[in-house]
Amino acid sequence: MSGLGDLMTGLGTLLTPGMLFHAAWATLLGIVVGSLPGLTATMGVALMTTLTYSLDSTSAIFVLICMYVGAIYGGSRSAILLNIPGTPASAATSLDGYPLAKAGRAGYAMGLATAGSALGTVAGVVMLVLIAPPLAEAALNFGSFEFFWLAVFGILISGQLTADTTPLKGYIAGLLGLAVAMIGSEGIHAHVRFNLGLSDLNAGIALIPAMVGAFGFAEVLTAMWNRAGEIATKKDSSDRTIPEMGDIWRHKFTIARSGVIGTIVGIIPGVGEDIGAWASYATARKLSKEKEKFGHGSHEGLIAAETGNSAVVPGSLIPAITLAVPGSASSAVLIAALFIHGIRPGPLIMIEQPQFVGLISAMVLIATVFMAFYGLTLTKAFVQVLRVPYSRLMPVVFVLCVIGTFALSQRMFDIWIMVAFGLIGFVLRQMKYPMAPLVLGIILGDLLDKSLRRGLTLSDGELAPFFTRPVSAIFVALIVASIAMNIPAVRRLALAPFRWIGARLNA
Amino acid sequence: MRMAQADRLTAVIFLVLGLALLAGGYTMDRLEIRRIHPASIPGLVPMILGVLLSICAILLYRSSYAKAERNEAMVFTGGSWARLATTAVICTLYALGLVGWLPYFWATFIFTLCFTLAFSFPIGGARRAQAISLAAGLVLAFGVALGSSLLFEKLFLVRLP
Repeated sequence: MSGLGDLMTGLGTLLTPGMLFHAAWATLLGIVVGSLPGLTATMGVALMTTLTYSLDSTSAIFVLICMYVGAIYGGSRSAILLNIPGTPASAATSLDGYPLAKAGRAGYAMGLATAGSALGTVAGVVMLVLIAPPLAEAALNFGSFEFFWLAVFGILISGQLTADTTPLKGYIAGLLGLAVAMIGSEGIHAHVRFNLGLSDLNAGIALIPAMVGAFGFAEVLTAMWNRAGEIATKKDSSDRTIPEMGDIWRHKFTIARSGVIGTIVGIIPGVGEDIGAWASYATARKLSKEKEKFGHGSHEGLIAAETGNSAVVPGSLIPAITLAVPGSASSAVLIAALFIHGIRPGPLIMIEQPQFVGLISAMVLIATVFMAFYGLTLTKAFVQVLRVPYSRLMPVVFVLCVIGTFALSQRMFDIWIMVAFGLIGFVLRQMKYPMAPLVLGIILGDLLDKSLRRGLTLSDGELAPFFTRPVSAIFVALIVASIAMNIPAVRRLALAPFRWIGARLNA
Repeated sequence: MRMAQADRLTAVIFLVLGLALLAGGYTMDRLEIRRIHPASIPGLVPMILGVLLSICAILLYRSSYAKAERNEAMVFTGGSWARLATTAVICTLYALGLVGWLPYFWATFIFTLCFTLAFSFPIGGARRAQAISLAAGLVLAFGVALGSSLLFEKLFLVRLP
């Protein structure tokens, strides 16, 4: 019950006019950013991090959470109206949202998406409140050996699940991120590595310039490279924005299931909202009595996708707060922002700031209320936002990328880093390398490096403790299983018992 | 370019990068003078990463010869090269050239104006349409330059470049 008590305390802290004002503008801005194809939640959170330096820590984190929640939801606008997901998280939404819009039911589709998103976030918040404290407590027993494997597992699983074509590209992206993290002064002996003779690289590559480049500049390039979509303008006279309660109630099990799936996907390091949406959508389709409607304007499919991606937001915060391991690319930026504002995520959070989990849960909850309000009332305004030409919007975004990056440490070198990451990020995206493992590699590189060398020092060079300690052994088993599942013969063998059970059940 | 060709090219680049990491880690100072534990040498993780990246690069190269749909897919298609090149050049010139060389306000003004006009100026259009496009560009450029300057300089107390 202390979790719920902390949530109430958090709500008490945030329900002030000043805080609600921050929530109001940040959520609205988040929805606008998310609804514009090419601008993602991660870019919004990264840019907003640079705009919230001067705020106090609670307000700054609140603004970033609102931006995150709003942007993930906002992606559904363009997915429904343009058939182009505003963020990758809404790709599954477009499958059923766009057919509904083409049939003149865009308003109702947006209403369902709003309800699904709000309920998904609430489901995730409940799990955040329940899971985060015991997880942080369990993580207090983690030593260098366990943290090393946690970092390896995070990058590996992120690489495996986010890769578009082959897991190999996910692994390579993760390794590139780790390689970037090796640049600069290392954390044990303060020895400077790979600075290429540049003193600016002595402190390493900061996460925010890298993220703003990979998600900001790269997205500006992608948006200008792609062709614009066509807005579905047909309108049915029976169309309405407020969804029917009966429609929502009929899909209560889909909502609950998608909420749980989304949260679990959120907890898995570096996997993110798009996978949460796809996993929820696929499960809903498999278990649905109306499978044939999926992809042709299914209400259930739309709700499953939106519930799934929104539940990832609070889910991704669980490992981010308790282990300092981000559950998604956006939460990786949030971790960096927490450090900037003097909050140290990790197992000690429940000792140093025991009420923080409740506070951040309250932030997500309030952002959800604003999101639902805007979603149901400002439908027409969001359609207008989608009409803003990129030739006017993108220079504004890029100016913010540049000055926001500069403002971090007030040095030109960070701008160069941002530009380099933007150009490389664009090329890697075009070649189907996922960005999430790369980001995870940058943020977990230091933890992995220090944990391995500290562990080896503690064990006097012995490798055995890395494999024999119980939690380490579990991580090793998971890692080996994840890699082995890429081999077709192993996968066939491992799935044989499940297929046999399935065949028996069907018979 | 097909994905298979692109993968082969990047596999070679990653192999070189992996070997460079391995060599860099191996030749890195082992800090014996500070009597650190030999298992905590700074080059340890870079060496491991170098080996892993090289293995992945070789596997990527091999997999590019597999008869798979993904290898047949085209890369860098479906978009406009002219728009991409224009965006990349204007943005890079602004970030790496104008900012720091000109005062921030003027750098941002010129960048925003050029970007907007490059993509929206009706070259073959009527005089009136051209004048409207130019005026809109000027207003946007002035607004963005002034707005971002005031926001960062006065509100966030950042010393602008």
